[in-house]
Amino acid sequence: MTITAGKQTTAPAVALAGVRKSFGDLRAVDGLDLELHQGETVALLGPNGAGKSTTLDLLLGLSRPTEGTVALFGGDPRDAIRRGRVGAMLQSGGLMPDVTVGEMVKLARDLHPRPLPQAQVLQRAGIEDLVDKNVDKLSGGQAQRVRFAVAIAGEVDLIVLDEPTTGMDVDSRRRFWGSMREQAELGRTVLFATHYLEEADNVADRVLVLHRGKLLADASAAQIKARAGLRRIAFDLTESVERYESTLRALPGVVQLELGGTTVRMRSDDADETVAAIYAAGLRPRGLEVAGLGLEQAFLAITQQADEAEGMEIAS
Amino acid sequence: MRTLMRLEVLRMLRNRRYLLFTLAYPVAMYLIFGSQSGDVDGTDVAAYIMVSMASFGAVGATLSAGVQRIAAERQSGWTRQLRLTTLTGRQYVISKLASAAVVGLPAIVLVLFTGFLRGVRLDPWQWGVLVIALWFGSFVFAVLGIGLGYLVAPDSAQPVFMLVYLGMAVLGGMWVPLTGFPQFLQDIGHVMPTYRLGRLGWEVLDGRHPRMSDIAVLALYLVAFTALAAWRYRRDEQKVAA
Repeated sequence: MTITAGKQTTAPAVALAGVRKSFGDLRAVDGLDLELHQGETVALLGPNGAGKSTTLDLLLGLSRPTEGTVALFGGDPRDAIRRGRVGAMLQSGGLMPDVTVGEMVKLARDLHPRPLPQAQVLQRAGIEDLVDKNVDKLSGGQAQRVRFAVAIAGEVDLIVLDEPTTGMDVDSRRRFWGSMREQAELGRTVLFATHYLEEADNVADRVLVLHRGKLLADASAAQIKARAGLRRIAFDLTESVERYESTLRALPGVVQLELGGTTVRMRSDDADETVAAIYAAGLRPRGLEVAGLGLEQAFLAITQQADEAEGMEIAS
Repeated sequence: MRTLMRLEVLRMLRNRRYLLFTLAYPVAMYLIFGSQSGDVDGTDVAAYIMVSMASFGAVGATLSAGVQRIAAERQSGWTRQLRLTTLTGRQYVISKLASAAVVGLPAIVLVLFTGFLRGVRLDPWQWGVLVIALWFGSFVFAVLGIGLGYLVAPDSAQPVFMLVYLGMAVLGGMWVPLTGFPQFLQDIGHVMPTYRLGRLGWEVLDGRHPRMSDIAVLALYLVAFTALAAWRYRRDEQKVAA
């Protein structure tokens, strides 16, 4: 697909081409091609160990790819950072020890070529009440908010956040995403890594699913949700289910079928239709269960699809 | 950059334990060892030990400003966050040096002042040259501290600091004049930057200006330690938290 929104003249905010990163035998990032356009809000979704943090490190020039190229706004990531175009909040990034929150924010502003007013930064991060507190004495969620303030202390074009809401309570989370939306509305490109599907769904225009260092999906939140929104259906029949296999496979929505004795287990991307069709086919299921897939399972489902597709490619 | 320097200094001054150690320790050592009378190669012992302990204090203050604080900052992830700002590596090192220099100066002045109170009398120019020579000379150790701060694992920062600090102090004749050491230890002592720093001051006590040879050796150490710091800083830049 080569659909480009807006003017083609502006370089993409982020461009990764054939990026690989290995640590010994471990391929943390395994062939990533990616372009983020200016003004997009993008979620990088994946379970722990998927390569999210490594990808963000590469993107920010904190580490160099084993192979491939990384560019921010058409140039070297270090250049973009030196010009103050990038605000970042990493899991491994910390705060200066022995200073107050107010001093920390002031420092972040002072180091930025286009600082925002102190009061505005404090307000956006929701840390007005923490100004005089020592940064070493903050709770996990408070520290996260201060780190967010550091990332948005100046006018930036790209904001990169690695699991920003870790340790935040529900209220802080809501406030946080509220101010994140503000940032997006100001035309900034926002990229955040998360393992919460809900966060990706609520905030992002575009969701990237990363698994074992590979990009498994690049789609809108709704599309990903549909893929991850598979339901598990299970029921028993009074007799052996083998003879109904072709009927069961033909049911609408079924993407996976498992038969064992009198038990049927299936996965469906449209559980309502599937269940209606089971009765319409004249089957009398007993102990019918319909359950949503957890995120881990959704990832597994997406991974399996990816593996199967790969298998078919190899076979053909 | 201004705020960074200001905060670097403020943080030092806020850390009471650190201040007590770096400022009071050399003064206490001077009070304990400086009460002897006699002379070292013709120099009054009380004045000689005053200069030794002022150098000792300056080395401790500037060295620990690097080693322990940078190790702690690496552990907290602060150095990593700093890389995501517009601050360049050179600016970072300069701000670290400046903050080390700010604690180095009182470490020197306090010991000299204690010496004055205990009756050490020098010409005004001697006091002035002593302060400037020891202070500038101590920058060598500030740079070494930065290099070591990036070299050692955060957990071992404290023991490594103590080992390097006390080792260099003893070998460099800051505690006991080198003339009392066996020859091979004297030979080692003569190449120590601590010895060269001390001799900047000891020369002044004899009414001479610091020797060019000592200044040159310290300058060589400065270049070598800067190379170490730059190398380790770049290495750290490439390192990735798994």
